[in-house]
Amino acid sequence: MTVHSSLEKRFRKLKANSKGFSSVIGTTFMVIVVMFLSTSVFLWTLSQNTIYNEAVRARNQEEADRRSENVVASGGNYSVSGDDVTVKVVLKNAGSVAVQIVNLWVLDSAPSNRRYTNKSLNLNLKSGDVLNLVGSSGLNVTIPGADPSHNFASWFVTAKGNTIPLEKEQGVIVAQLAQGIGSIALDFYTFRYYLYESSTKLANYPDGTISFNSPKGTPIAYGCKLTNLDPTKETITLNSHSVIWQPSVGVGVECVWYIVNVQPDGTINGTYSNITLAYGETQLLIFASGNDLGTSSFKQVKTPTSVGIMPTFLLLHGSIGSRAYGQNLPFVSIYYS
Amino acid sequence: MKLKGIECLGMDLRKTWKLVRERRAISVVVSNVILTGAVIAASFVVLYWTQYRSSVYNEQFSEAMNADIARLKERLAFEFVFYNYSGSGLSVYLMNCGTVDDVTIQTVYVKDATGVLIRVSSSITLMHFNGTQIADKDLDRGEEGYFVLSSLNPLLTGASYSVRVVTGRGSSFDSTFVA
Repeated sequence: MTVHSSLEKRFRKLKANSKGFSSVIGTTFMVIVVMFLSTSVFLWTLSQNTIYNEAVRARNQEEADRRSENVVASGGNYSVSGDDVTVKVVLKNAGSVAVQIVNLWVLDSAPSNRRYTNKSLNLNLKSGDVLNLVGSSGLNVTIPGADPSHNFASWFVTAKGNTIPLEKEQGVIVAQLAQGIGSIALDFYTFRYYLYESSTKLANYPDGTISFNSPKGTPIAYGCKLTNLDPTKETITLNSHSVIWQPSVGVGVECVWYIVNVQPDGTINGTYSNITLAYGETQLLIFASGNDLGTSSFKQVKTPTSVGIMPTFLLLHGSIGSRAYGQNLPFVSIYYS
Repeated sequence: MKLKGIECLGMDLRKTWKLVRERRAISVVVSNVILTGAVIAASFVVLYWTQYRSSVYNEQFSEAMNADIARLKERLAFEFVFYNYSGSGLSVYLMNCGTVDDVTIQTVYVKDATGVLIRVSSSITLMHFNGTQIADKDLDRGEEGYFVLSSLNPLLTGASYSVRVVTGRGSSFDSTFVA
């Protein structure tokens, strides 16, 4: 009871006394200001740290994605025609993330011609996708001074900055295989025929019509792409005796188309000058004349008038390096209709 | 009843008049009011000042943080580094494969395998792959470009060298090449 009355008395005295009031207000204000500012700065710093951590997390994710890219460029091969280098390759996305390929670099590493070029690409590969850039789908680049005997290196660049080196196909195996049947290989998928626009001019040259079916009873010419895969890497020269030959089986009529030289507009030259194929080089060769242009003049060849299938042989003749060369490619069958 | 009310009013007026005329303790009230006002005014000044300082700090911190984040997002891929014997030039082909635009090249260092500095260059001209100059002098996301370090002292054929590219934001990227 005494304590209570004493406290009551003190409280009344405190209420009645106005001394120190400003200090109380000032202190309260200061405490509020300090709490307000420190809280806001703390929360703001926390939010900035969160933003930074988010950026670090995103960066780590990108790095993980980048490391997950796994594209294999296998079966690489180069064919050279003039300054044009065709890169043939099979791309396989063996990784777990989709990959965008944005660039191809090709380097001619021959000491005499250290040049390089690049080609912009936009190839998108999902996981497990396989992209066959072979045959006519090969990637063409231009390197001045390129030669089939040169060594090339190439690599792809992905959008995430990885590089994919092209693993070159074992050229010796290809060449050895070629040696088993001859040093020249045929690209089956580009075999074509041409109709005539005039007596000595091919229509739709050089595209023609890629097919193993030809119109019967019609003057046509044939075209095919041949590659020199000679294991000794020597140049092959084809003379005027080279011919596409169809024996008199099938529809019973023998036909021959001798090799010719064709101008870029499709006009067939009246005479023939030897065609050379450097090692690794691919060329489109045209067979059109009923006569050997080395000994006679150009003559169109009509296809058989009957419907039926014909075996077709490619008889190549000339020289390889300084040696004589002859090859018989039993290569396609053609159906006339 | 009405008379009683008038008496009360008269009493109130007298009390008020007495209060107005009372001079005792007035100095204490005035001083308290002045003191309290001064404290509140000073508090507001302090509040304003601390808020100003904290906003400056926030701004500086924010700039530093944004710069750090932008630097973190920078990434340059070396597509190809080619040393030309004949022209004594080094061509460096780059791609911005990061997630931030406007990556500029501040300085390029070329060192040999032992770390000896061969060349430092801070005047870099970025070009598109087609040979034209990049107008904005930087690489945006996914953009490719190259620069050439010309008049380089002849490098030893077959020796390994490194090239370091430092960006305007301060990131550095390294690659090696064989001359």
